[in-house]
Amino acid sequence: MAKTKTVKEVMIDVFEYPHVPYWFTIGQAMEIIRKSLMTGDKCYYPMAVLVFDEKYNLMGSVTIGDILKGLEPKLKISTLADAEISYVDEDVMTSYETSLFNAESKKNVEKPVGDIMVPAKTFVAPEDSVVKAAIMMIHHNVSLLPVLEDKKKLVGLVKMVNVFDEIANMIL
Amino acid sequence: MINLSHHNVIITNMEPLIQREYSKKLYIQLVEILKKKITSDEWPVGSQIPTEDELCKLYDVSRSTVRTAILELVRFGFLKRQQGRGTFVSRKIITAGLTVLTDFKELMLAEGLKYSTKLLVRTMVMPTGDIDKNLGVSLDKHVIYIKRLRSVDKEPLLIKETYVPYHLCPALLKEDVEKNSIFELLESKCGIQITKAKGFVEITYLTKEESSLLKLPKGSPALLFTQQIYADDTVVKFVRMIKRPDRFRYFIEVERKPTFF
Repeated sequence: MAKTKTVKEVMIDVFEYPHVPYWFTIGQAMEIIRKSLMTGDKCYYPMAVLVFDEKYNLMGSVTIGDILKGLEPKLKISTLADAEISYVDEDVMTSYETSLFNAESKKNVEKPVGDIMVPAKTFVAPEDSVVKAAIMMIHHNVSLLPVLEDKKKLVGLVKMVNVFDEIANMIL
Repeated sequence: MINLSHHNVIITNMEPLIQREYSKKLYIQLVEILKKKITSDEWPVGSQIPTEDELCKLYDVSRSTVRTAILELVRFGFLKRQQGRGTFVSRKIITAGLTVLTDFKELMLAEGLKYSTKLLVRTMVMPTGDIDKNLGVSLDKHVIYIKRLRSVDKEPLLIKETYVPYHLCPALLKEDVEKNSIFELLESKCGIQITKAKGFVEITYLTKEESSLLKLPKGSPALLFTQQIYADDTVVKFVRMIKRPDRFRYFIEVERKPTFF
């Protein structure tokens, strides 16, 4: 069996993704994603921005899924006893839908991305194998993995797509 | 050394002298001597300087030379004349030539003021708002964002936010931007020759964060400078500066040239 590739060989440049400081608003991040990742033919998956602190240290990432979650108004938590409707009630679902992503969401776009960011806790080193990267991604449920040199310097990113491709080569 | 024994005032050996054989105009030499006394705090802010007569004797120059030198120092904000009272060392006001491309560091060195710079933020942003238009880059270009606080004599004077497209000078992420000016670094580390600057001066009102940095009440008026710095036709840097309104003034010179038809 051929030697498995290292992270270094499959990683992409950090500048393929937009970088924002944590105080940028959700609205700014949305604008940036639309302008940088949703134009042209290039396939960006996952669609995300990287979030940095004031000293340009990586803090985490915000995917389009995190943004939608962040925009969703917080619902009043009700108990089972309060519930008068079954979950299939179409009318209620419709009124719920129309209430979503409205006034409250407009307020939420002003929140900083730091509030909805998923902190980067899992890393790989450039010399690590693609297999290790795959394990990390599966077990920590991330699709974009930062590559750190000497556990400090951000040198690249591993996307699940690249890992998938390598694993497929190994197995098939 | 000129023999001074015939003078009726005592001049110590330390006293700088006007050199007559020197090609520089007498009043310019006197300006430099007096300026040094002010910037070295030998004549502290608020103190009264010797009278014109005393200065004439002290430096063995004519009254018109003394007057011209004092007027020059008044013009640049080092001295203040008070009718009937005399001439005083004024609170330092930093004068910047609007038309000349100067850098804060060069300016401070020229004015002989002690200043310090504190790096508050150095990170990467995408050019949202109007930054993309000011830098002439698209929204998907990474931009280095540096925010610094400049103080003179430990008093915070200005907040400077600098935006430089990352691809033009990646070195700015690593270099010391507290000791060096970005202007110098662009030239020395990235070979960018700055040729011109364009900008606006306007009044702004301090946000909560800006006011706490400048130690002024929130909502106080301040000077806002926005400047695009060019290397030929490319914008290499966009600067947003917020300055204390009471510590700066700008020198504007307009010359009327005769027109011929």
